[in-house]
Amino acid sequence: MTDTRKSLAELGVAEAAQLDALFAALRAEFDRAAAEVHDEAAWEALRVAWVGRKAGRLRQITENWLQPAPPELKRAIGQHLNELRQHIEQTLQQSPALVPAAEPAEQLDLSLPGIERSLGVRHILGQVLDEIQQIFLRIGFTVVDGPEIETPYYNFEALNIPADHPARDMWDTLYVQTPRPGELLLRTHTSPMQIRWMEQHQPPVRIIVPGKVYRHDNPDATHAFAFYQVEGLAVDTDITFCDFRGVMDYFVKEFFGPKVKTRLQPSYFPFTEPSADVYGSCFACQGAGCRLCKQSGWIELCGAGMVDPAVYGFVNYDAKRFSGFAFGMGVERMAMLKYGINDIQLFFQNDVRFLRQFR
Amino acid sequence: MKALYAWMLEFVELPASPEQLRAALSAAGITVDSVEDSPAGPRFEVDLTTNRPDCLGHYGLAREAAAAFRASLKRIQPKLNEVREPAAAATSVTIEAPELCARFTARVIRGVRVGPSPAWLRERLEALGQASINNIVDATNYVMFELGHPLHAFDLDRLAGGCIVVRRARPGERITTLDGIERTLTPEMLVVADAERPQGLAGVMGGAASEIALETKNVLLECAWFDPVSIRRTARALGLRTEASTRFERGMDPEMAELASRRCAELIHELAGGEILAGVVDAYPRPPERQKLLLTRRELLRIMGADVPDREIEAILSALGFAPVRVDETRGRAGSLMAAWECVRPTWRHDVTREIDLIEEVARHYGYDRFPARMPPARQPAQLRPHAEALAELRATLLALGYDEIIASPLVHPDRDALFAPPQCQPVPIANPLSTETSQMRRSGIVSMVDVLEWNLNHGQRNLRLFEFGRSYELHNGQPLERAVLTLGATGLARRKSIHESERAFTFADLKGDLEALGVRVGGFQWESGTPDWLAPEHSARLLCIAGDDLHEIGVAGVLDRHLTSRLKLRQEIFLAELLLEPLCTAYEARRAALRFRELPRFPAVERDLSLLLDQSVRFAQVRDTIRALDLPELVRIEALDRFHGGTIPPGKYSLLVRLTFQSPRATLTDAQVNEFVVRIVEALGQRLSAVLRTV
Repeated sequence: MTDTRKSLAELGVAEAAQLDALFAALRAEFDRAAAEVHDEAAWEALRVAWVGRKAGRLRQITENWLQPAPPELKRAIGQHLNELRQHIEQTLQQSPALVPAAEPAEQLDLSLPGIERSLGVRHILGQVLDEIQQIFLRIGFTVVDGPEIETPYYNFEALNIPADHPARDMWDTLYVQTPRPGELLLRTHTSPMQIRWMEQHQPPVRIIVPGKVYRHDNPDATHAFAFYQVEGLAVDTDITFCDFRGVMDYFVKEFFGPKVKTRLQPSYFPFTEPSADVYGSCFACQGAGCRLCKQSGWIELCGAGMVDPAVYGFVNYDAKRFSGFAFGMGVERMAMLKYGINDIQLFFQNDVRFLRQFR
Repeated sequence: MKALYAWMLEFVELPASPEQLRAALSAAGITVDSVEDSPAGPRFEVDLTTNRPDCLGHYGLAREAAAAFRASLKRIQPKLNEVREPAAAATSVTIEAPELCARFTARVIRGVRVGPSPAWLRERLEALGQASINNIVDATNYVMFELGHPLHAFDLDRLAGGCIVVRRARPGERITTLDGIERTLTPEMLVVADAERPQGLAGVMGGAASEIALETKNVLLECAWFDPVSIRRTARALGLRTEASTRFERGMDPEMAELASRRCAELIHELAGGEILAGVVDAYPRPPERQKLLLTRRELLRIMGADVPDREIEAILSALGFAPVRVDETRGRAGSLMAAWECVRPTWRHDVTREIDLIEEVARHYGYDRFPARMPPARQPAQLRPHAEALAELRATLLALGYDEIIASPLVHPDRDALFAPPQCQPVPIANPLSTETSQMRRSGIVSMVDVLEWNLNHGQRNLRLFEFGRSYELHNGQPLERAVLTLGATGLARRKSIHESERAFTFADLKGDLEALGVRVGGFQWESGTPDWLAPEHSARLLCIAGDDLHEIGVAGVLDRHLTSRLKLRQEIFLAELLLEPLCTAYEARRAALRFRELPRFPAVERDLSLLLDQSVRFAQVRDTIRALDLPELVRIEALDRFHGGTIPPGKYSLLVRLTFQSPRATLTDAQVNEFVVRIVEALGQRLSAVLRTV
């Protein structure tokens, strides 16, 4: 313990160099005392002992050391004193002894729920549509909208499906009652937007068209008279079947997972040539064969192909210069496969017990 | 279509098991859905696309199998033991409608013994789902399933004049078809007639009058080519789809007609004896020219993006009957970029008429998956749909407010639709609806919203807040008009009882609050009275919104009128709103574009509460507008805090507690300044609205 009631001379200090050790000892002495302080009374005693106005240690230092010191020491003492004061005041302020010991709080029953906040849920179809759009946006496909009430020209003729063609049986059509029958119909696919877009834009074309489509189909677990499709179209000077495969493969992996493989099987659509059905390896059984894939290991995902040159004739594109691919997928089918939904009717029924499962 | 493994293998030698054949055919686009056992051996269920009528028989399928395995297809070479007398002496064929009948062959077999077919034949037909009838008819069906081309056998003795006339039906002419139904015909329909009357509906079904019977002795065997469109229209008009019409409407091979006839004569002779008259009566006015097609490697590469070796191209096209021949100048060199093959279109492939079609033939048998996957380069930035951001933000706001999104079918019941349809709005009716419930496109989203609320209430879900971003549909001057609408529906409790709070029913104020929250995103709504009759007039409003420079009427909101609640048996108060999305999005975008930072206030705000005594007829908006009209820049907010009547309040009056907030950007407001504002406000309210300040 350094006796601050004595003068520096009595303590044998005559040079500035000795001050460091002197003040370090004082600081250590304070720290030891402060560490012992656990209640407010002890804190107050410590405060009075060190920074008390009348007889605190700092007061003593000022009176006994600083004031009588020769000019060459005064400055150094002042500096040390200030540092010590700062340290002491800060320590006192932050002392845990200052925090009043509160009455012990009643323990909350943490298992009780909080106040319920309602949070709406996006329709699962909307979520899946968003996801599909995001995937294609990432690789440069612009999203466009089209009318649901269409003319036979856009829905069939311009897609190389003439009247009285057996291929029309592929689409059971709902017609609008018009003064002259057959003038308007509910689009059976989103493909009419291929024509509408190409009529208005020159290549490069990269679009997807999400939207509702309609079929004269009796509803059951896998058929609906209204459902969603996403159409895709890419036309450019250098688009090939390999690009078509690449894009389908990218989509399938992004949507269903990196392990899912893609296979193309020849098919027929009047507006694509060569035409293909796109299959993904069954993600339920990893291709081993199960109920979902009807033991085949593969699941049909969408119809697609290279744009038939006949279609370019309807939109005044030069079929010798441009090539491209198109595809169309059922959105409900994608959602059913991804989330294991077993009845397509659930989507448009909008039972909130169904909707809220996808929060 | 069903097909038998053993039958296909009569025409091609394959080292393939049924499963291997199934996989190979599917990979080439002849999709085999399943392989099952049948008394006639493994049976394939083939899902044929409409462009491949050539595969509607076992021989055609065998050709695809041969191509898939690069094997060779056996030729069909019937051996006929004909007598000296020519068929032409026994019958004649006249085509009066050559535009609908390109070829008609007739063979004559005399002295047959009609009876049952042998077991092997019955077994095969039955395995394909075709009932056995008698040996003659079975022979025609058998050859149809074998070679894909339909045939018909007439009892020659029942044909008046023993001759065939192919002509259009006369107006009102009648025929009883093999199924026993009498049908009235029109001149659009083609018939196979004798000298007097129709004996068959060409390419669709034979007539009962000349059908093969037990006592039939002499047979005239028809094998012809009919126009696909005419057959399709006739079959549709009569609602009569047969194995024959399905084949003819997709396009048969005119060359096959004679071969199939020869094969069938051979089979009839084998099954029923008799004697085959020499030759065939063949009316074939204009045999089609053999079309030549060119396949170039350059085009194959341009479309497919990767190459196929010469020998594969040649093997595939040869197996499919295209007889490819290299015709380019570099023809000695394999893999030449200049390579070109001249091909001849087989008469059975109406679907292959262009180079692109040949490319598909090569690609599908070479294997689609042997073309490597690649990503096309992006050439331009991708764009979102118009208003995509506005729609996403409005949707996020509604979700945060606790509304669940619904997506409903726009096909609705016309009566339901009429309840909520805007005036003078022409509906879009469906000509061929599946049911009355789905026979019209909705004119508003409200009709679907009410349906969905009803469904959920009926399934025990009583507390609902729902929204839909959908479309309304109408005919405007005969043209379809589709408009994007936002529909809201709510019912039940706004808050359920819990350990923390008591329950509270959803009210008009909840709906208004939710819409105002949405309104914040679009610059605010103005609420006016006067709503459609499906809303309760006292608890509903028209909504206006500033879009562009104008105030637009954009929708309605309120409580479903009681007469509808009870008529629809809803038993709960239903809150509904519908807004037009186009102006809403435009307003959102305008507000967004105008957003700028404002300096945070540095001086404190001062609040003053005024308790006003007002006449019952005075609305809050009038109070607010009267105060605003004073144009006090320091007045930053006017709120209604409380409203009551009765008690000490005189009749016809009510008390309104209004909170005013003052704040200056330049200095702390003094009491004296605020008092002066309040005095001016009270004075104005007194003058304009006869408001009296109550002591608080």
